Amino acid sequence: MTADTQLGADSETIRRHARHRRVSMLTSPIWVSACVLLMRVWFRYRIADVEAVRAQYRKIRTQSDGPILICANHLTLVDSFVIAWALGTGPYWLTHPDELPWNTPEATNFGRTWLARAAIYMAKCIPITRGGAREGVGDVLERVKHLLANGETALLFPEAGRSRSGRVEESSAAWGVGRIVGAFPDCRVLCVYARGRRQETWGDFPAKDDTIDVELACIEPKSDAKGVRRSRDLAQQIIRQLMNMEDAYFAKREEGADAR
Amino acid sequence: MEQSEVMERVVKILTPWVKDEAALASVAMETNILEDLKVNSARLVDVVIAFEDDFDIEIADEDVDQVNTVGDAVNLISGKL
Repeated sequence: MTADTQLGADSETIRRHARHRRVSMLTSPIWVSACVLLMRVWFRYRIADVEAVRAQYRKIRTQSDGPILICANHLTLVDSFVIAWALGTGPYWLTHPDELPWNTPEATNFGRTWLARAAIYMAKCIPITRGGAREGVGDVLERVKHLLANGETALLFPEAGRSRSGRVEESSAAWGVGRIVGAFPDCRVLCVYARGRRQETWGDFPAKDDTIDVELACIEPKSDAKGVRRSRDLAQQIIRQLMNMEDAYFAKREEGADAR
Repeated sequence: MEQSEVMERVVKILTPWVKDEAALASVAMETNILEDLKVNSARLVDVVIAFEDDFDIEIADEDVDQVNTVGDAVNLISGKL
């Protein structure tokens, strides 16, 4: 029995994902190059201590063959691109596009025009309508489970939207992320806290020329509860880890300010 | 348990999460929980857990995918009693 059969992925989901994956791989030289150029040349972003972040990510990846889900805080529309760039170099992703994490952007933000829809389709995105029909949300979650079962990686924002307060919000925790983690007995969650130094609150893009701090922490959420209660429990463990990382980030930033 | 009694308890459980109280006044089986009652989708999990506690049933994640309206919730719960 395959991992997919155990997870109940239907043949249509498997076919649809395989088709999407082929298109993303074939077009990756275009969109990976475009994303990296935009971030480096147009926005002039820098990732603080980027070599250490990438080395830490490589180490985490080699520690286990089990599924890994990336969960991050969410402040801007381009967080997933910034995080991918923090985890690997442009040339690495150009030669290993299959290892780039899949994303689940909000359909209403990125699906307004056919061009935007085509672009996000190519860039390994599975749009989700937050607060939409439960069946549609459920389909996206099933696809994420399917891709994790096949050794791929996904990046989700457990707050289900950009943090309107500028801080990780426990009350916004979507339990879908817990549902995915709960489907695998050995699922690790790579929590990523990313924030531009000039990012005071949520917005569309980090400020031009900004330096973005990225912190990583790998956890294995566990729960003895059942059903939706279990999913909520697992999702809350992830959100609390992100909140702890945020507290540590601001404590470090204040220490730095005091030292100056 | 009569369906009307399940409906009454479902509406009572939903009430604290409802943002559109006017919609609550005319709630019916076809009332959409997220769109009409404006329940925050992230909080739907708390509503479902409240259903579990109140009716002493267990609801799987996949069951929630079928719940869009108050009637869907009533039918799901009735099927588990």
